[in-house]
Amino acid sequence: MTNTKKRKVTGRARSEFLWGWLFILPTMIGLVILNIIPIFQTLYQSFFKTGDFGRGNVFVGLDNYAQVFGDKEVWQSLINTFKYAIVEVPFSIIIALILAVLLNRKMRGRGFYRTIIFLPMVAAPAAIAMVWRWLYNSDFGLINNVFPIQVKWVSDPQIAVFSVAVIGIWSIIGYNMVLFIAGLQEIPHDFYEAAEIDGATGVKSFFYITIPLLSPTIFFVLVTRIISALQVFDLMYMVMDKSNPALEKTQSLVYLFYKYAFINKNMGYGSTIVILLLVITLIITAFQMIGQKKWVFYN
Amino acid sequence: MKFKKAAAMAMACVMVLSLTACGGGKGESGNAKSDGKSEQGSGDAELSVSIWDTNQEPGISEILADFTEETGIKTKVSVVKWDEYWTMLEAGAQGGSLPDVFWMHSNESQRYMSNDMLLDLTDMIKDSDKIDPENYPSDIWGLYTYEDKYYAVPKDVDTIALWYNKKMFDEAGVAYPTADWTWDDVTEAAKKLTKEDGSQYGMALRNDNNQAGYYNMVYDNGGTIISDDKKTSGWDDPKTIEAMQQVEEWIKLGLMPSIETMSENSEDVLFQSGKVAMVFQGSWMVAAYRDNEYTAENCDIAELPKSAATGRRASIYNGLGWAAAANGKHTEEAKQLIEYLGSKEAQIKQAELGVTMSAYKGTSEAWTKSADFNLQAYLNMMDDMVIRPYSKTTVTWENEDNEILKSVYTGDKTMEEACKEMAAQMNEKLAGE
Repeated sequence: MTNTKKRKVTGRARSEFLWGWLFILPTMIGLVILNIIPIFQTLYQSFFKTGDFGRGNVFVGLDNYAQVFGDKEVWQSLINTFKYAIVEVPFSIIIALILAVLLNRKMRGRGFYRTIIFLPMVAAPAAIAMVWRWLYNSDFGLINNVFPIQVKWVSDPQIAVFSVAVIGIWSIIGYNMVLFIAGLQEIPHDFYEAAEIDGATGVKSFFYITIPLLSPTIFFVLVTRIISALQVFDLMYMVMDKSNPALEKTQSLVYLFYKYAFINKNMGYGSTIVILLLVITLIITAFQMIGQKKWVFYN
Repeated sequence: MKFKKAAAMAMACVMVLSLTACGGGKGESGNAKSDGKSEQGSGDAELSVSIWDTNQEPGISEILADFTEETGIKTKVSVVKWDEYWTMLEAGAQGGSLPDVFWMHSNESQRYMSNDMLLDLTDMIKDSDKIDPENYPSDIWGLYTYEDKYYAVPKDVDTIALWYNKKMFDEAGVAYPTADWTWDDVTEAAKKLTKEDGSQYGMALRNDNNQAGYYNMVYDNGGTIISDDKKTSGWDDPKTIEAMQQVEEWIKLGLMPSIETMSENSEDVLFQSGKVAMVFQGSWMVAAYRDNEYTAENCDIAELPKSAATGRRASIYNGLGWAAAANGKHTEEAKQLIEYLGSKEAQIKQAELGVTMSAYKGTSEAWTKSADFNLQAYLNMMDDMVIRPYSKTTVTWENEDNEILKSVYTGDKTMEEACKEMAAQMNEKLAGE
């Protein structure tokens, strides 16, 4: 860094600098207006008791935070969110990785399979949730009618959150797979040829060559997946009816935020819940950044 | 190398933050939607109209088309489901982009009126030769009047009745419900109509079906939900608890599908698929059942049962209002539209099309002919009407009530415990209004 500063700035460098900034400016502005500013607004709101229509807010200091820490519903939702993430993240990564390896080989109908697996990403989450809601329906649903079972997939408090996680896995696999395929194509073929000469079979070369060389991609997918799994909302909102007895054991933190901020119109308390989620996500991500040294290989 | 690490850390932070902001941005997308709508309207004064009931959409669209023909003002109706409707309206109100004309409900009208969100229609109503407050039920005007000013014109009036499946009654050899039935008769009939293998149940009443369901039973029995001054809850009134224990009995006897089943398939779905024999439904459901082949053929309506103890047969009623945004871009046109929608002509058409019972007095006759059911039962329910319990924060305490009642259905609490808990939480919320 220090070296570049000492060097004389040429006209070309300055022009590149300007154009560079110009190109990322729209994204930067979007990021600031749509993401960064709302974060601080949310933080600000969390110190208030919300008045009607956002007017007449009353400053309550840390009252909302005190309430959040004593709120059983919030902690239950946090547990639900973790349960969801613990199922969704590893399965969606492992299955996508296997599929990516399989579909990275030369085979017939490769493009077709890739398209099919990616397709759920194209559909709107609301539509996906509606379809799955009917598949899961315990009285009229396809799953219970095709197999001779009577499982209350989405209304049994013990399993509902996992049923929702299955939908999550199903809908994200394609996206993860595409990222993995991109990563796989970066790996030079020579490595595999050399390994073959040394007698490494397919499974061995997968664990000793593919996984280490793909680790930066895996790390990226892992971090982004965990963050968005912790923010699960639409699937639960669409699948779970308000009168569902399993709701309490299924609703995520963001669902709870929605309930307080938009249904009960207590924006302040809702904001506090989101800030809690933000802090938890930051901590988890920080640990991952530290942990990556142990298993991610950049060269 | 150090720089690389720092940059990676910074990137990760931005990622976390930006994704969090995305998660929190649901309200913004709602805003964006209504923004889009008002933009469309600004071109050639197209009024955006928002409603929440898909069943009423065809009829409403027809009436709006008449209006366009008469005045040349275009309208664009959009249907947003009940739950999302209020979220959308809230976001619109806060962001200054409400639809031009929309439905108002007793649950929310107080809040909207007291915050100057609705267009003051008092002068329009005074000057109008089409609208005379005398012609509509005064209770419904009451819902939409704040400090002696009118903020909405009554759209309709609704009552509750008992729907039954004739085919199932015939099969079980039970006589059809009549106006003389008591709630005990319902219990007896439901016992005979319930099959042990779970293929058929006597009735369905969800934990969140208050207006069309248990509120009626509470008032029949002399109980209340909220005091007249809207300061205290009536859930802990022994009369209320006694009435609610009827519901508990139905749950215990297994006359209803489990709460799991009812949450996955709402009462109307269960009724339409021949899984339950009786449901309590508001007059707003008539259009849907008329258009459903199965219910049109097999089902009919009777008055709600009476309480055996008090002999009272109350119907919780309500009426929607047509309101406009105070800060809308086309307030003059909006007033014109509301005046039209409240006029005798449009109200009769609404009744004739079978959209709902109209608020305009004397239009019921047209409505009873709109479907091949005993619609007279709904009109008979008008003899003893109680306005739907409401306060400024209705939605908040109602949601909590429904949540608590769930645990009676799952068997975790007795009805008495639940009622006391509901009273406590409601009193707390009412105190904070």
